[in-house]
Amino acid sequence: MGEGGGNSRNNNNNNSNRPAWLQQYDLIGKIGEGTYGLVFLAKIKSQPNRGKSIAIKKFKQSKDGDGVSPTAIREIMLLREINHENVVKLVNVHINSSDMSLYLAFDYAEHDLYEIIRHHREKVNQSINQYSVKSMLWQLLNGLNYLHSNWIIHRDLKPSNILVMGEGDEQGVVKIADFGLARIYQAPLKPLSENGVVVTIWYRAPELLLGAKHYTSAVDMWAVGCIFAELLTLKPLFQGVEVKATPNPFQLDQLDKIFKVLGHPTPEKWPTLVNLPHWQTDQQHIQGRKYENPGLYSVVHLSQKSPAYDLLSKMLEYDPRKRITAAQALEHEYFRIDPLPGRNALVPCQPGEKIVNYPARPVDTTTDFEGSTSVQPPQPVSSGNAMSGSGVPPMVAARPLPRNMPPMAGMQRMPGPGMSAYNLASQAAMGGGMNPGGIPMQRGAGGQPHQQQQLRRKDPGMGMPGYPPQKSRRF
Amino acid sequence: MAANFWASSHYKQLLEQEEVDVVHSPDKEKGFTLEDFKLIKMQMSNYIAKLAQYVKVRQRVVATAITYMRRVYTRKSMTEYEPHLVAPTCLYLASKAEESTVQARLLVFYIKKQYNDEKYRYEIKDILEMEMKVLEALNYYLVVYHPYRPLSQLLQDAGMTELTQLSWGLLNDTYKMDVILIYPPYMIALACIYIASVLKEKDTTAWFEELRADMNVVKNISMELLDFYDSQKVTADERIGAALHKLALKP
Repeated sequence: MGEGGGNSRNNNNNNSNRPAWLQQYDLIGKIGEGTYGLVFLAKIKSQPNRGKSIAIKKFKQSKDGDGVSPTAIREIMLLREINHENVVKLVNVHINSSDMSLYLAFDYAEHDLYEIIRHHREKVNQSINQYSVKSMLWQLLNGLNYLHSNWIIHRDLKPSNILVMGEGDEQGVVKIADFGLARIYQAPLKPLSENGVVVTIWYRAPELLLGAKHYTSAVDMWAVGCIFAELLTLKPLFQGVEVKATPNPFQLDQLDKIFKVLGHPTPEKWPTLVNLPHWQTDQQHIQGRKYENPGLYSVVHLSQKSPAYDLLSKMLEYDPRKRITAAQALEHEYFRIDPLPGRNALVPCQPGEKIVNYPARPVDTTTDFEGSTSVQPPQPVSSGNAMSGSGVPPMVAARPLPRNMPPMAGMQRMPGPGMSAYNLASQAAMGGGMNPGGIPMQRGAGGQPHQQQQLRRKDPGMGMPGYPPQKSRRF
Repeated sequence: MAANFWASSHYKQLLEQEEVDVVHSPDKEKGFTLEDFKLIKMQMSNYIAKLAQYVKVRQRVVATAITYMRRVYTRKSMTEYEPHLVAPTCLYLASKAEESTVQARLLVFYIKKQYNDEKYRYEIKDILEMEMKVLEALNYYLVVYHPYRPLSQLLQDAGMTELTQLSWGLLNDTYKMDVILIYPPYMIALACIYIASVLKEKDTTAWFEELRADMNVVKNISMELLDFYDSQKVTADERIGAALHKLALKP
């Protein structure tokens, strides 16, 4: 994987600043920007994957002259080990030794939950259909279960990090992206604040808001609960106002938003609550207030008896030790009743269901790989169906440029990289406990998504670092 | 994968001894022998451990750094990848991968403290450039499993925690060889327990039998380690010096 910067001293005068490895792509434009750097859309020029869309994530050079950023290192480290249908696929790494920049190439995903939710809220004015909500949630949990059973916590799950594949053989498949904050949690984890990282607080678990020092996989499940509710209502569930003070400010407003919906946590229901730093030090703030409990069910408009409500409330359990796990959630009744979840979350099979056509990701064609903007007027470019090989200009479609996107309050827009498994067929055919898919390929035919989970759990190699499967009896 | 060694890139990348013991042609042209190659790798392992003491990182970081360095030299020559630069760079990269980032300027400070010789006194820029080359040489595979955790778990299981210190020391010494590139970590841990139990005259036969581990492999690793200690008796600085001298020769 990856080509070196050894030959990046370019002798091609036409693109004096372009590294040699870039020649294998047609650069279409910029599709995202985050604290780590920029994301570009490109297409592969040559066979066998000619015309295939690739998202290229460029990591900024470290400001303080400290080489490749630790965030990039950790993301590469994890992505190189990961292989699952519901997790982004890293297809290449490129380095530019001339300016010491680093690029990760992923399979491109046209959509993400942030944009899908926004489209429904602002354009369609209609909720996302039940089948799609359930399918996206199931696949998100399936990917997360894979990560958690491999001791990886994502730590930054939010709608913009959950990608959905556009047209193609993986259409409607969900991919968890952006592993910059993810950690293998066998090693002790430092609090995010210690790494100087800023993350959205809306999806942050209450134990973290109350100052818990240690991360567990339960923090990801809280985020999934928040995302589930947002898929149902099209509104962030707990939209707290972030205190920007450093370091690791105590986010009282976020807690306030949570307590208003879920009621006050109590040491009876959550015994370890009393050990959390902020619970003790900020007693008058947290414990002093009285909350009338309007009930989660009324906020998300679900019957208290519905399986959907039951699952959601188990994800939003205060005590992280009682919170439902990804593996348990996959076996929840919600996924066994109609409509059953499917592999293509975007296209329901039932006749009569309306298919929503989501807009393609906006592409800013005026920004080049160095991140500088050209003086040409911006040209919106379609990425979905343009075959832009051999110098044919990409098709033009009318849609907004990224800069026109109204940013949501307190939330940095970070469209993650897109991806899809290259050889889907071979993955699907793997079978056995490690089959990364596990989703019924045809709705109605399988319908038992939990089966794979059971198989995987039986794999004795899991969770036993450094031991061969056949020895598991002893440890 | 992270928790499952058998699904990890580390497992997939394990090599045969013959694949590790390859002197690359630019080095060969300088008259480099396999012995020279091994000596310098050992010396650089010591160098990494020394620097790590200065910058105060855990043993795990040292072990990862040494593994990176040894992996680099399964693919690259020492002529092209100067060991005195590769070694600190691997420590630098490992510190990032293991979440205890060491600043490059700090490393450079201690490198200069270590070497008066002008040609080994690298600057930050050199380390950052080499970091990219090392990443590429590692093919971006950065997760490394070490025998430390299996070692303590196995000792607990065997009820022989009194062997911890001795076997831990033996384990540290395995990084002076290439065993981490060749054997699964738990096998290396077992070899260390095996040697420690023999030295302390503990009878572990029943325990090993019940474990159903491949004793041939355990004994092979043990023999390698014991051979290494034997060779250490005669390994004087001058042999290392001679090897390094050859490397310094212009082709």
